[in-house]
Amino acid sequence: MTSTVKRFIMAVVVLAALIVFFVWSYVFKKADTSVSSQNATVELTANDLVKAFESNESTANAKYNGKVILVSGTIADVKVTTDEISVYLKEATDASGVMCSFNKVAASKNTFKSGRKIKIKGLCTGYLMDVVLTKCAVQE
Amino acid sequence: MKSKLLILLMLGSFQLMSAQKYISKSGHIWFISNTPMEVIEGHNRQAVSTLDVSTGDVAFMMLIKAFEFKIALMQEHFNENYMESDKIPKSSFKGKITNIGKIDFKKDGSYAAEVSGDLTIHGVTKAVSTKGTIEVKGKVITTKAKFTVSPKDYGIKIPSLVESKVAKEVEINVDTPYNSN
Repeated sequence: MTSTVKRFIMAVVVLAALIVFFVWSYVFKKADTSVSSQNATVELTANDLVKAFESNESTANAKYNGKVILVSGTIADVKVTTDEISVYLKEATDASGVMCSFNKVAASKNTFKSGRKIKIKGLCTGYLMDVVLTKCAVQE
Repeated sequence: MKSKLLILLMLGSFQLMSAQKYISKSGHIWFISNTPMEVIEGHNRQAVSTLDVSTGDVAFMMLIKAFEFKIALMQEHFNENYMESDKIPKSSFKGKITNIGKIDFKKDGSYAAEVSGDLTIHGVTKAVSTKGTIEVKGKVITTKAKFTVSPKDYGIKIPSLVESKVAKEVEINVDTPYNSN
């Protein structure tokens, strides 16, 4: 075998290995940025979202659970823990609200203050005492 | 409103406003499946829990879709293939701290706690008991526990192809800060 052929084979092998590695890291090791890069399927107010779950949880689950949605409302409370920031959207007249959780590092540039009107995009995960959104991002 | 009452009923917390009841909406529940092939971790930081310090009644409720993973595909498999969270969106625990009398909630400190009750995962309810700790610091009470469950016991089928990647015994951790009502 000539050295040119050898070199060509080597190059193909290296290239193939690189492609496999990138596909592997893209498909299987993809970090979870699924929400911030997605467009919201529905846009509604915190009040309407809570009402939908309160009146019929299974219908609301079918409609919103597992979907990326954009919710607008007023911040009633902010809690900061070691890993995350929880922003609670609730109107004074409502019994329950929407609990939105942010990754602390990703959300550090935002200022959350009670009373501020805000639009938050997040993955709706269902309803306990409040509607829960995870992996949230602020919609400017 | 009806569903909300139902949840409150299930959590056994009609007297939320009584001083003996503590509530948390930010319970951190996480599980670790550790095998030589792969370590899988899922974290839920929105668990709702109530704790009655006079009777020892304790309850947890959480949404399966609120478990977060480092890798998006893991979360997808967890929800769609294993937990079937579209059909069964919640998991819960309802039980009692059996040695509640030995815990002084008026005095700061870390106390050993014994808990037993019914754990519902994937729609299957099993009796569990474990040891944990209760930390009292001023007005904040934190419950911590660690125990293991076997996915098989809760009717969670692991395909033979990935059997070596999912632990037979999955470790569950609980770290929940409560505020008095």
